[in-house]
Amino acid sequence: MADRDTIAAIATAPGRAGIGVVRISGRALADLSLKLCGKALPPRMATLCDFGDGDGGIIDRGLALYFPAPQSYTGEDVLELQGHGGPVVLQRLLKRCLEMGARVAEPGEFSKRAYLNGKMDLAQAEGVADLIDASTEQAARCAQRSIHGEFSAEINELGRQLVELRALTEATLDFPEEEIDTGTTDDQVRRLGAIQEKLSVLLSASDQGSLLREGALVVLAGQPNAGKSSLLNRLAGEEVAIVTEIPGTTRDAIRQSINLFGVPVHMIDTAGLRESSDAVEKMGIARTWAAIAQADLAVLVIDAVKGESAEDRAIAARLPTSLRCLQAFNKSDLARKAVGREGDKIVLSAKTGEGMDDLRAAIAEAIGWRGGAEGVFMARARHLTALRAAQAGLARAATQTRQQEFLAQELREAHGALMSITGEVTPDDLLGEIFAHFCIGK
Amino acid sequence: MRTSAHGDILMQYIDLYDIIVVGGGHAGSEAALAAARMGCKTLLLTHSVETLGQMSCNPSIGGIGKGHLVKEVDALGGAMAAVTDEAGIQFRILNSRKGPAVRATRAQADRALYRKAMRAQLENHPNLCIFQQAVDDLILEGDKVTGVITQIGVRFRARTVVLTAGTFLAGRVHVGLENYQAGRAGDPPALTLAQRLRELKLPVGRLKTGTPPRIDGRSIDFSVMTEQPGDDPAPVFSFMGSREQHPQQLPCWITHTHEGTHDIIRAGLDRSPLFTGVIEGIGPRYCPSIEDKITRFADKNSHQIFLEPEGLTTHEFYPNGISTSLPYDVQYALVRSIKGMENAHITRPGYAIEYDYFDPQGLKSSLETKSIAGLFFAGQINGTTGYEEAAAQGLLAGLNAALQVKDRDAWCPKRNEAYLGVLVDDLITRGVSEPYRMFTSRAEYRLSLREDNADLRLTEIGRSLGVVDDVRWAAFEKKREAIAREQERLKSTWVNPRVVDAAETLRVLGQAMEREYPLLDLLRRPDVTYGALMTLPGAGPGVDSVQVAEQVEIQAKYQGYIERQQEEIERSAQQENTRLPQDLDYAKISGLSIEAQQKLAKHQPETLGQAARISGITPATISVLMVYAKRGFSGQRKTA
Repeated sequence: MADRDTIAAIATAPGRAGIGVVRISGRALADLSLKLCGKALPPRMATLCDFGDGDGGIIDRGLALYFPAPQSYTGEDVLELQGHGGPVVLQRLLKRCLEMGARVAEPGEFSKRAYLNGKMDLAQAEGVADLIDASTEQAARCAQRSIHGEFSAEINELGRQLVELRALTEATLDFPEEEIDTGTTDDQVRRLGAIQEKLSVLLSASDQGSLLREGALVVLAGQPNAGKSSLLNRLAGEEVAIVTEIPGTTRDAIRQSINLFGVPVHMIDTAGLRESSDAVEKMGIARTWAAIAQADLAVLVIDAVKGESAEDRAIAARLPTSLRCLQAFNKSDLARKAVGREGDKIVLSAKTGEGMDDLRAAIAEAIGWRGGAEGVFMARARHLTALRAAQAGLARAATQTRQQEFLAQELREAHGALMSITGEVTPDDLLGEIFAHFCIGK
Repeated sequence: MRTSAHGDILMQYIDLYDIIVVGGGHAGSEAALAAARMGCKTLLLTHSVETLGQMSCNPSIGGIGKGHLVKEVDALGGAMAAVTDEAGIQFRILNSRKGPAVRATRAQADRALYRKAMRAQLENHPNLCIFQQAVDDLILEGDKVTGVITQIGVRFRARTVVLTAGTFLAGRVHVGLENYQAGRAGDPPALTLAQRLRELKLPVGRLKTGTPPRIDGRSIDFSVMTEQPGDDPAPVFSFMGSREQHPQQLPCWITHTHEGTHDIIRAGLDRSPLFTGVIEGIGPRYCPSIEDKITRFADKNSHQIFLEPEGLTTHEFYPNGISTSLPYDVQYALVRSIKGMENAHITRPGYAIEYDYFDPQGLKSSLETKSIAGLFFAGQINGTTGYEEAAAQGLLAGLNAALQVKDRDAWCPKRNEAYLGVLVDDLITRGVSEPYRMFTSRAEYRLSLREDNADLRLTEIGRSLGVVDDVRWAAFEKKREAIAREQERLKSTWVNPRVVDAAETLRVLGQAMEREYPLLDLLRRPDVTYGALMTLPGAGPGVDSVQVAEQVEIQAKYQGYIERQQEEIERSAQQENTRLPQDLDYAKISGLSIEAQQKLAKHQPETLGQAARISGITPATISVLMVYAKRGFSGQRKTA
């Protein structure tokens, strides 16, 4: 069927490696695997075979793993071919699959099928995408956690507690004659408080996850000779890690992205910001200003030998007033000043590296990174929005414990927002919960 | 002349009816009345004229969620509320201390008075004929129903048929391990029809319900029980009703089971059809038998029993809470173990009944079957329970059958319009796993779907459909206008703290007023009632009508929430209004999982909103469908 064709892709990263994997998913792969491997493959067992080229020749000798539907990653038949890692061999294997009717998978298509076939929920599927995109090791660890359903598990646990509270609330509304609506308000308030607390912990962990995923935009400003470049190089460290690009119009303005405690920090360079009549340059300048408008932080580099000058103040004045600004007094070695930090002022030397740790700590703090990826989830903007909506609903609920039908309404909305993250809709949960806990039966 | 399957001579009626309603219970009565109100030539076929409007289970109408349905039926010109006003012997508002959205009217009804009042409605209605005969078969031409054949072989022709056979289809009654074929409350079962419907390959399932043994009130010691009187003044059910219609009022009584009772039940479980696997049908979780309750909630050492009077001219009481299918000797012992019933005389044994129902996922939202044109199903055969759920469906089915006869589009109320919409949508998108009963928690727009505004929500629609008569319409218009006028007055009348005495504002508002306010803003405050506000100097006099005053107050208090729900409704409108063509070939839609394709093909949802509520259909599936809907599904039709 044209709408559910077989897809194939090289699953390992490009380049030379010990082994490389070609993955194939489709509705019926038994025939394809027989032709390709020359023998029937037992399910879920590594089988050594020769991958044939269809003309009697052999492309490679390797291991084949056959996962018949539905017990596979995508929920369809999946075939994994582990061959030698060279690009030529893998390309030939892929080409052979295409000859046999497969088409090249689109990015994320395996995960998409896994999601559509109910093998993972939305948060897990997004976790896979994040893992593939993960720009730093810490981000990868968080994404890994989301795939394993830890984020979903947290959401589901919160959802479970909310269902209990809602069931209690709904039971008092729907079954007033069942001797269950006495003394429930204290219980409701206690439960609501516990859920709010749990949600706020989860939200904070997700906020951090979002920072790991999206990173932060930092404007680097200062006079030409203040030492911005050396400061940037020093910040970037040995490995000048160009970790990711941020999409859209801001791209041109990014000079470098650095890895700060695992958080991708995108530096916006203001070097080119000057009056210009050149049309192309004007466009670049406009884009830089657009990027600055979205920035999370500015670092103004000042020559410590000269001290803060009128020019420095003029540069600062051009930045948006709401933008927090750190002042980095560079060249402490020449100015013979002691390095250190006082509030948003940091004295350092990019040349010797002294005081750089203070600057890193100050930037991290200013962009909201609270350190450590433990327990942090790779949340997307969508998740944060949903979690905040749930939080707002719960806060309103807390003010409505006197009017149960309003309380119920707020809880319903909060619950809906929460469950939109994992994409699971469970309309009958409530009644089931009520009948499991209360003996209803007038 | 041909002969029927039984060898009887067939008689062909000359008349062609617009609508034939099969069954004279709560669904059948409302269906026949709605069709007749719309001017359609209607025939009601029942196996017994004497049992029209029979309450075969507990003698009460309404309750949370159910009362909402009764008010909606009333707002659409139906009979249930009006009949209850004539037959009710105890009226109460449940949840009266909670908000208006969850307040509900409940009445105990005199069975005999109820039957009498309903029969009078049916017998005196223009366009409506009644004929006493059980129906054995449907006449089909291709995929269209064209009439019915009765037990003695009489053939009636009709453009549409509404089937409301209740629990009679292949009914089997259980008392202990004994069981026999029967309908409810001593009536015969409809076996031939059940057999015939099974042959038509309509998807059929089995459900179970039950009743308690009935008790002679003369043998009950009420002095040791708690009296539960009706509300004073007694609430009125119908928007058109009045307290003067009510007959004499009686109280209910409350007593409890105890561990001794539970021991008796436990000792009899080995002869329980429920616990020995004799009963296969699934019973309702919210209305379990007493043996089920003590087994599932073993730590609860006492269960409440409400003794409800069956009527003014009978001594019988209905002990609500001890529904059972245990053998009679166990029933006898358990009843006599209860406080105040030590000498109780049982007048009728309790029993469980299993019956056929049709998977409502086979219905359109008009309640017409998807497989047979012109055939509508309503009531308990759709897997619901309760008189109110049945009546609501009956009215909708009768109304839509009439619309079909008149070649007009079906009326399918939405979830945000009526409990009736919630009911039908739940049934057709999710099916049932137990007898379906209405609860307010099923309605996501609960704050908008109240008893008090059922007429404001539905009467105008009912009028345009043709089920609301001139008298009701005039009364409704008058009320609606009075509400608008009073709201306008409260909006434009300002109270100034420099004019009104501070002691007065403190008395009415509970606090001093710091600035000038319109009355309507003051009424929005949680603790300010309309009545109290009208006593503020310069504010009154208010309106006389209780209904109008109540409506003005509720709308003011709920406004914030109603506006938020309205936004939610608008957000979901795109999904709800996106229609899915019935000739859609889901196999041609790429990006859908096989499971989703199969589910959608089976359900044939009418809208994207319905599709989203089918269990197992994920938001991803809906996104995919939405993309195709935007392209008009070109190339995904079966004909393409």
